[in-house]
Amino acid sequence: MAVQIGKLAPDFSAEAYHQGSTKTIRLADYRGQWVVLFFYPADFTYV
Amino acid sequence: MAAVAVKYPAFQEIGAEILTISVDTPATHQDWQERELSRMVPGGARYPMLSDPEGKIGSQYGVYDPDKKVDLRGQFIIDPEGILQALEVLGIPVGRDVSELLRELRAFRQHRQTGELIPCGWQPGKPTLPEEEEAKKIAGRIWEVWKPKNAF
Repeated sequence: MAVQIGKLAPDFSAEAYHQGSTKTIRLADYRGQWVVLFFYPADFTYV
Repeated sequence: MAAVAVKYPAFQEIGAEILTISVDTPATHQDWQERELSRMVPGGARYPMLSDPEGKIGSQYGVYDPDKKVDLRGQFIIDPEGILQALEVLGIPVGRDVSELLRELRAFRQHRQTGELIPCGWQPGKPTLPEEEEAKKIAGRIWEVWKPKNAF
């Protein structure tokens, strides 16, 4: 596993779709609040 | 992911933001949002849906499957200092339990606010254990203050 509990979560930035527009999202910009990352295999699947 | 979208208000109530991540493009996310998610959930997905086309973020978090070229179903709780507090990764055929993730988030927040230790199966309203220094004093006598039935 590339990450470890109790250590800094790796920062990243990525293009995102959000409320009708495309923007760049950077994890570090959310410092100061709780964040949950949900990875999933693909859109249009419902497991 | 529709279950995550349904529970988004509960995450907002806790003060947590959600970022979802798959290898799909922003355009595909938009298509999914407009054609399906918005029909299943009022407002659809109202959090940022990130695009990880080459699995770079997935690789950073150890969830990218280079053979299938997808990010596996992984969830990561990150605290306000940016520290990773919890993680779970599931094989492709099985979905996650969003209620359990919310429970974990509430438990970490409870600990952060009070210093209390959070026992197995805790839910809001159930007993906690005293903060670490106090807890040391009752080591070996936890059974006096906490019963296994509290875990369920």
